[in-house]
Amino acid sequence: MIQFFRGIVPGVVTLLFCLVFFPLHLNATEAGEYIAIRKEGTGNVALVLDNLDGKGRKEMRFAQALDAAMHDGLDFTKLFALIPPPLNVKDNSDRKNVVLNFPALTSVGAEVYAGGVVTMKSDTIILDMKVYETAGSKLLMNKTYTGTEADLRSIGHAFCADLVELLTGKKSVFGSKIVFVSNKTGFKEIYACDFDGYGVKQLTNSRSISMNPALSPDGKHLAYIDFTSGRPTLYIRSLVDGGIAAVGKSAVSIDPGWRNNREVAATLSFDGNQEIYLVNINGTLSSRVTNSKSIDISPTFSPDGSKMAFVSSRNGLPQLFIQDIASGQVKRLTFSGRYNTQPSWSPVGDKIVYTTWEKNGEINIFTINADGSGLMQLTQKCGENKSPSWSPDGQMIVFTSNRQGKEKLYVMSSKGGDERLLLQVDGVQTQPSWSLFR
Amino acid sequence: MKKNSIIVLALMVIAGCSSKSAVTPDEGTADHSSSSSPLLMPPTPSGYGFDQWQTGPLGDVFFDYDSATLSTEAQEQLTQNGGWLGSNTSKAVLIEGHCDERGTSEYNLALGDRRAASTKEYLVRFGVNSSRLETVSFGEERPFVQGESEEAWAKNRRAHFVVK
Repeated sequence: MIQFFRGIVPGVVTLLFCLVFFPLHLNATEAGEYIAIRKEGTGNVALVLDNLDGKGRKEMRFAQALDAAMHDGLDFTKLFALIPPPLNVKDNSDRKNVVLNFPALTSVGAEVYAGGVVTMKSDTIILDMKVYETAGSKLLMNKTYTGTEADLRSIGHAFCADLVELLTGKKSVFGSKIVFVSNKTGFKEIYACDFDGYGVKQLTNSRSISMNPALSPDGKHLAYIDFTSGRPTLYIRSLVDGGIAAVGKSAVSIDPGWRNNREVAATLSFDGNQEIYLVNINGTLSSRVTNSKSIDISPTFSPDGSKMAFVSSRNGLPQLFIQDIASGQVKRLTFSGRYNTQPSWSPVGDKIVYTTWEKNGEINIFTINADGSGLMQLTQKCGENKSPSWSPDGQMIVFTSNRQGKEKLYVMSSKGGDERLLLQVDGVQTQPSWSLFR
Repeated sequence: MKKNSIIVLALMVIAGCSSKSAVTPDEGTADHSSSSSPLLMPPTPSGYGFDQWQTGPLGDVFFDYDSATLSTEAQEQLTQNGGWLGSNTSKAVLIEGHCDERGTSEYNLALGDRRAASTKEYLVRFGVNSSRLETVSFGEERPFVQGESEEAWAKNRRAHFVVK
């Protein structure tokens, strides 16, 4: 067990550090308060993720694997500046009690310290984690995680999820999935992977064209378009029991977007004109949403499901519009750019991300507030960047880019920057969609 | 019946087919001859709607960038196609809408659907029963020509006819 050094002198030193170096420091008594307050100050949280302790050989091996999973996971979020633990972080001059050296932590600039111990009970791995705010020597979290050797990654990520939620007050990316299209087999099929590109799994094997996958908010259903019948048809597959519902209407179906766990919207052209409809998860029609002679596609909903952003060519070139579902009122959202498509509504707020096909041939990603203000360009000078989709916490965006040749999946910060390749798979990867569930 | 043969002949001429031996209208019924006569199945149709990907009796039609509007040439081709459909009333047709690879794939799927739809609409107005004309869109998923040139893109922006 780790115990803590609470002498008067270090307390004074800590207090001085607070005053001198951390003018924004407050006691993080409530989840989310910490980040909310400090956000106005510096960038990332300065975190020391200490090497985990373990008594036996097995314990040490698991501790190292957990260390790696947690380190990689936290690094992926780009929410933290990970500082190596100072050599004297643990004062074990007293053989029985290891004492955390908070002055040493604050002197290297750490705001938060996380450390823990791995123990075993037969085949069960037990991870005891503690998180401290260094400036106040204050215990923020003390939690135990258990599992088997096969669960090491998810045990580590469960801690990461709690740490991020504790510090940001928002859902984290840990445990979320990304579905996407890949032509690795020679056919466009749908695949899923973890938020960080780990564990790629093939979901369809239609040997036709499968596209535009979207997971329901609870992750229980996958909606996608597939050409197996000879025409683009909307399918809704239960990932719980494998049942598949097809929208029985003829003509074409285009680009589904979930409104909630029971309804998915998609463009259907069975009445001779393309309109967006709400479809129940059993494949039956719920209601028609749009009514125009033009192209209306790519529905995406506000978090409460009351508003729908979509693409329409009703004014000529494709632009984004927002429709209020209850009143039917439609408002044009985008006025700059001649070809704006692929909207995705942020799961945590009022921002919409979309792509603009620019005159210079580039396709770039932009965000705009739902009221039309705050237009921001996130990508530039790197070819075609398409199909943006938000992480469940709204902190990141997954998208495709051909910046290095073939189209691949990338992630970046929701404000732009920190752009990196998500996964290295053969062939072309397109149309990623980030799940909201965990 | 004679009328049909004449239309067929007219089509042959427009399509630029050279079959001098077949100028005389057949005494028999056009419908009978249609299955065997070289007249009705030109070996290599050429002209606007025909290329290596369209060698059937019905010519394809091509579109401008981001457009589902039928050009004069496209309308001429559809008039010919309508003639053939008028004399081959047992045939049903699939009209596939296609797009070039530029832009975004969801929008192109929608655009291909509109290309197929405007093509069908023209033929229905011409007098072809709509139940014989099925449409589908492949968007940018099945390009005819690979490549990033206007020439390739122009070839890929089409409504493609498949006789069933």
